Amino acid sequence: MNANIGIFEANYYLPPTKKALSQVFQDEEKPTEAFAANVDFEKDIGIEALHIAKNETAADLCINAAKLTMVKSGIDPKEIDLIIDFTSIPEDYVAPTWSAAGQVQKAIGATRAFATAINTGGCASYQTTLKVACSLMSANDRYNTALLVAGDKTPEFNHNYFPITVVSDGGSAVILKKNMTKRRILGVEVATVGRLHDMWFIPGIHNRKPEDVGGKYPRWLHVCGDVQRFNKELIPINLFMFRKVMLGVLKQVGKKMQDVAYFVYPTFSAWDLKAFCQAFNLPLEKVSTENMHHGHLQETDMVVGYVDALEAGRIKDGDLVMLATNGAGFSWGASLVQH
Amino acid sequence: MKSPVGILAASCHLPQHKRSVEDLFREEGVNFSSHVAARLGIKQVPIRNGQASESASNMAVAAGREALQRAKVDPLTVDVVVEYSIMPQEYLVPVWNMSNKVQAEVGASKSFVVGFSGGGSSNFMVALSSAAAMLSENDSMKTALLVTGDTTIPGNRVLNPDDPVTVMGDGASAVVLQSDAPGGVVIDTELWSDGNNHDICYIPGGSLIHPDDISLYRMRLDKARYDAFPKAETLRRLSDKLLERAGLKFSNVACVLCSNISSQDEAVMQQAFEGKVSPVCASNRESHGHLQGTDFPLNYLSLTESGSVKQGDYVLGVSHGMGTTAAVSLFRY
Repeated sequence: MNANIGIFEANYYLPPTKKALSQVFQDEEKPTEAFAANVDFEKDIGIEALHIAKNETAADLCINAAKLTMVKSGIDPKEIDLIIDFTSIPEDYVAPTWSAAGQVQKAIGATRAFATAINTGGCASYQTTLKVACSLMSANDRYNTALLVAGDKTPEFNHNYFPITVVSDGGSAVILKKNMTKRRILGVEVATVGRLHDMWFIPGIHNRKPEDVGGKYPRWLHVCGDVQRFNKELIPINLFMFRKVMLGVLKQVGKKMQDVAYFVYPTFSAWDLKAFCQAFNLPLEKVSTENMHHGHLQETDMVVGYVDALEAGRIKDGDLVMLATNGAGFSWGASLVQH
Repeated sequence: MKSPVGILAASCHLPQHKRSVEDLFREEGVNFSSHVAARLGIKQVPIRNGQASESASNMAVAAGREALQRAKVDPLTVDVVVEYSIMPQEYLVPVWNMSNKVQAEVGASKSFVVGFSGGGSSNFMVALSSAAAMLSENDSMKTALLVTGDTTIPGNRVLNPDDPVTVMGDGASAVVLQSDAPGGVVIDTELWSDGNNHDICYIPGGSLIHPDDISLYRMRLDKARYDAFPKAETLRRLSDKLLERAGLKFSNVACVLCSNISSQDEAVMQQAFEGKVSPVCASNRESHGHLQGTDFPLNYLSLTESGSVKQGDYVLGVSHGMGTTAAVSLFRY
């Protein structure tokens, strides 16, 4: 793969309204299942408030993030060759028939671009999208600039993703360009364990139950998780799969774990972050933590963690940065960015 | 692209049960006339029987297994499963995607999965282009399984009942792509979209904007904007651009495969592509209707079986879809 494709710019948009986590737990359904980890889900999660989009649509979150990133980059929207939406939760209209990619293309005036969407990987859709975008750019001389966008608006009263996390609303965007000398994407590794496909899903209106109609909220739009399977089938392999993709991407480019100066990791929970650091023997200062106060932002976590670390001066010239995450499906992904 | 990528095998899995278009029009309360029948050029469409074996994902699994067997590829050597469906799946996409289930059930456990949204009938070409790029640009990747399963929303098989555009059937398909495949070489793909038309065809109900309005859980088409979109002209322009990039002329092309939307749509394509649209398209359209992403694999298989193309022939696959999108792929048999 062309090793000169890099992250030209990245940014995110979070709606200004915030809701205290105590209020979220009060408003939403109480989980009844037991959680294997020895923690108090509500008290120990390490997130205090969530960003809530009020009247903004999911596409608005996408477009706001794209516009902020375009302005920050100074790039003319007409230069963009590819737009790939990597949103991982329900969008404004039903997917895969519709995606926000075309609406973003229209809103920013990227008249030359081809717009599409990647709808797999859950929170790891960022890595899947990087893999596809870099391959398309590497294979085709005509694709020089790509805009990756995501916008997630959680269905009302579904911010509690017990037993994993609590989720905020927000959008993110990343501009990839060829011929970069810094922030080069050296490699991307993605792995999928498809037998876990039905452990985490949203039923959809065609599967709604009569008792849900007219209730407090459209439950058929809410995530259904099989907590027993989560405990038995996902948790035991999770760190093994992280190790597989992390070592896989390092092997791809001939690097070692000790070469990595900084890790961007999702903001699922404080105990999850601690487990990740312990498993890979990483000091906390080498792992993204600034973004914890935003709440979990699905696939946008990767962008927020990266941007926040850059702005805080935690990533320096010459640093090798690893972005690693997992997501529904289930998939795991890791990418390496050379600063 | 570095190493050529080609189609090793393809497969379609269609329900045995078929319904006549006249029956479906009656069932959906749509006026059927000889004029509409001639404009559509569809006699019957395959419709799932309601059994679990004919869910979209189970048909996709069956198509995937068959394609891998035909290609003589061990599922464990598949590097990526790429999904190109258009219709809603068993659960809501993008949180769930059938590609994960396909990966597990065909036994492609060393692969990862990718799915695409929003391109309508062009989704196949988007998947093809992306898969070909991944195989040619990543040394560790050699084989891709492209797969879809589409089942139409019951009662919503006639698209745009006031002025029908097509009749949609159910079905699944799969294509095995491999680096250095001996034939079916994917030379290049040209993709185009116009975001001004992102809402030309979509399902308004059942997601965030209208979460609980089941009456809006139907595919809706803005016919005036659909008609205004210069489909054939755009596809011909993209084809010429693609051919020029490949150092070829349209006279080098043996035939063209288009989507099976209607006889009216095909007539426009025939005109734009100088009568080179293969007769297999009309034949499949009459007997199967529009099968979304499966149109191309179905037509590709029929063309191959027809014996009307020989080794070395150039074939264009052209498709326009919601979004609006247009896509052209060039193959060498």
